[in-house]
Amino acid sequence: MLKIVHYINQFFANVGGEEMAHIPAEVREGVVGPGLAFQQAFKGEAEIVATIVCGDSYFNENMDEAKSTVIKMVKEYQPDLFIAGPAFNAGRYGVACGTIAQAVKDELNIPVLTGMYAENPGADMFKNTIYIVSTKNSAAGMRDAVKKMAPLALKLAKGEKIGASAEEGYMPNGKRVNFFEKDRGSKRAVKMLLAKLADKEFETELPMPDFDRVAPNPAVKDITKAKIALVTSGGIVPKGNPDHIESSNASKYGKYDIDGVMDLTEETYQTAHGGYDPVYANLDADRVLPVDVLREFEKEGKIGSLHRYYYSTVGNGTAVKNAKGFAAEYAKELKADGVDAVILTST
Amino acid sequence: MKLELGYIFIKDIQFSDVSKVEDGTLYVNKEEVKALILEDEHFKKAEVELAKPGESVRIMPVKDVIEPRVKVEGPGGIFPGMISKVETVGSGKTNVLKGAAVLTTGKIVGFQEGIIDMTGPGADYTPFSKLCNLVLVCEPIDGLKQHEHEKALRFAGYKVASYLGGLAKKLTPDQVEVFETPTLTEGLKMYPGLPRVAYVCMLQSQGLLHDTYVYGIDAKQTLTTFIYPTETMDGAIVSGNCVSACDKNTTYHHLNNPVIADLFAEHGKTLNFVGVIISNENVYLADKERSSNWSAKLAEFLGVDGVVVSEEGFGNPDTDLIMNCKKIESKGIKTVLITDEYAGRDGTSQSLADADALANAVVSGGNANEVIELPPMEKIIGHVEVADIIAGGFDGSLHKDGSITAELQVITGATNEMGFNELSAR
Amino acid sequence: MIITNNDWVLYKYREKFNVVYIDGTFKDVLIAVRDRLHMGYELLTHPLGGSVKPGETPYKSIMVSDDKKSISFSSIYTIENAIITYDKFNKNKLKFINDKIAEDLKLIDLTVLESALNI
Repeated sequence: MLKIVHYINQFFANVGGEEMAHIPAEVREGVVGPGLAFQQAFKGEAEIVATIVCGDSYFNENMDEAKSTVIKMVKEYQPDLFIAGPAFNAGRYGVACGTIAQAVKDELNIPVLTGMYAENPGADMFKNTIYIVSTKNSAAGMRDAVKKMAPLALKLAKGEKIGASAEEGYMPNGKRVNFFEKDRGSKRAVKMLLAKLADKEFETELPMPDFDRVAPNPAVKDITKAKIALVTSGGIVPKGNPDHIESSNASKYGKYDIDGVMDLTEETYQTAHGGYDPVYANLDADRVLPVDVLREFEKEGKIGSLHRYYYSTVGNGTAVKNAKGFAAEYAKELKADGVDAVILTST
Repeated sequence: MKLELGYIFIKDIQFSDVSKVEDGTLYVNKEEVKALILEDEHFKKAEVELAKPGESVRIMPVKDVIEPRVKVEGPGGIFPGMISKVETVGSGKTNVLKGAAVLTTGKIVGFQEGIIDMTGPGADYTPFSKLCNLVLVCEPIDGLKQHEHEKALRFAGYKVASYLGGLAKKLTPDQVEVFETPTLTEGLKMYPGLPRVAYVCMLQSQGLLHDTYVYGIDAKQTLTTFIYPTETMDGAIVSGNCVSACDKNTTYHHLNNPVIADLFAEHGKTLNFVGVIISNENVYLADKERSSNWSAKLAEFLGVDGVVVSEEGFGNPDTDLIMNCKKIESKGIKTVLITDEYAGRDGTSQSLADADALANAVVSGGNANEVIELPPMEKIIGHVEVADIIAGGFDGSLHKDGSITAELQVITGATNEMGFNELSAR
Repeated sequence: MIITNNDWVLYKYREKFNVVYIDGTFKDVLIAVRDRLHMGYELLTHPLGGSVKPGETPYKSIMVSDDKKSISFSSIYTIENAIITYDKFNKNKLKFINDKIAEDLKLIDLTVLESALNI
């Protein structure tokens, strides 16, 4: 009987919601929560010997420690496979699942599998290196998720050859794999055209590379007269992070007034970003948001002026959709405020 | 234009004293076929072999595959402009020896194209392993120039296919299928509510061993134009393309164009299959611009709502494919493209040599770089020692036991871009 | 002008066209073309003409305009894509080319070029 270790968060273990997201990792024997559905789907071929429960906040904020603890726990059981989640659309859970699955794969060399919604930030981060099954966007999709994940899990555990993403149900991972469809290509083409003509949904078999090209605007005519604004994804915020911008997978941004501020100091500003070593940014936030230099330029007449507001969010695992949404908002305001050019800093 | 295709199903092929078709078996007089080939003084020797489904036989290097057909009623003859006069074909009645094929093989140039295995894993990747094949192995006279050799071999294939097809002329078909394309005005009246669809068929046209002929004219010299779908069923388009086995369209593919068949299947039901636009794939960039400008212009002129576009070949034809797509889409006409991929042996490279966001509906014939292991076969027809050199083969391709490790590229028809096969990739 | 590493092309067309002979690999030809495109010459034939893959033939001839104009972005895009495509092909086969095969490959390159010269 194949042995599986399952990783889930505090919510799926029925420990609690957000208020219990800080619990450290702990092992329970056998199945917990959704593990039961998996077990049933394995039909006696595999057994979940242990379930590791860990709070999403704990994992994301103590990543190194959490990883090493969980890996030790997994190692104890010598499983044939490690499953994390499914995380559906829960961002921090998805990132945790992806991170721990990747770590288990890298350090223990056992096959891993996780599942989440396609737009979960954990998906883009890990789909090219570990198998991630595409699920619906909420726990209501658990049955569907288990149905897709269980067969692939068994294949991975047995060491069988894994076919194309469309056959096996994992997210396309940048590796094209051949397989035989039921219908011939011309028939699939005619079907696809009929769907496209009827404005119905269809799925292309070969997605074009992501172009997302932005045509650059013409150069600023006279920089010495221009109003320059600062925008950052480096997470620079007033000390204390009054708006509680999250350290990863940010769901919000801040708009801060630097009227009269000539220099960012350790006492007045900090970084909220959880994706880089914060020491130097906390000592002097100008390193990420160059307010001091721009004030100098202002004085010297090298630029017209530094706009009084700056916009900040944390670009660590932030969903592309969210990032686009924030920018659309600040772009409107910047334009209305007569800003000529923006300096974007990231990390 | 209306054509009745009469299928005579061939389940077996044998050599015999008298060439005939009887009870589903094609009997071939070997000497008559050889004599036919040797009518062309460019050949000094000809051998004729059989290759049947399930046999442990490997044929290489394959040049073209042709289906035996014959005109029973109606104007013109099969392969107009080639071995028949240029009279317009595609109407009346045509008989087909369904399940049989003529294969031409030969070392025209040093790099050899095309393997067909009649059994084993390789057989799954080519439609020709399921046919009763008559294989022509022709030896050219010494010092024959490559383009003359290519032409002679091409014509040998058509002549033999025609000779075999002729055996079916007086037979009663086992099954008849009728294909009819109304004129534009008739079609508008008949199917006012159905979406209008055309098929843009791209033809390889780049020089020696890279050519396609339409009514005998080299496609390089043609402007994008219209053709009735049924004309292709009588051999109006034939292949002189012998490079890149996996994604070239053999004459068999042109005769049995699957896009045409599948569009006809929906014609009058879910769509109005208005007709076929044929467009070339020249190397000269201005020619590419011109041909694709014309595809878009003709599609608009035909008043279609959508097109299926099939490509032939790799690399620079991807540019033609994308140009056709962009220009047709910008006319407000929806496109679906059929292509194959060269995503590298590990499948991680960019599949096409060109791309555009407008190409959002693509059907894939598979990754031609995927490596396959072909076990040794008991009989080789052709020249096995060229395995290391054929397209897709690489260092150590041919092993001592006769097995071959090579990319899918080497198998004739494996990743066909008319969508002939079920192979795909994700 | 014709940029080529195929000596058959050089000998046949040196009188009629401006032939730039590159004594190097297929990739060297692509790079030479790319460099000229960045200077404003226009690409006339597709760098991946013909179906013999980059990993199968060492020979390539490409036509570029004789005069410089302003830089054509689509030409640059095409040549850069061609170089990316070239790099993804396994080149092991090139070691196995004997004289007869080399001749055949030169012929194919020549005929593909000639299809563009309208010959």
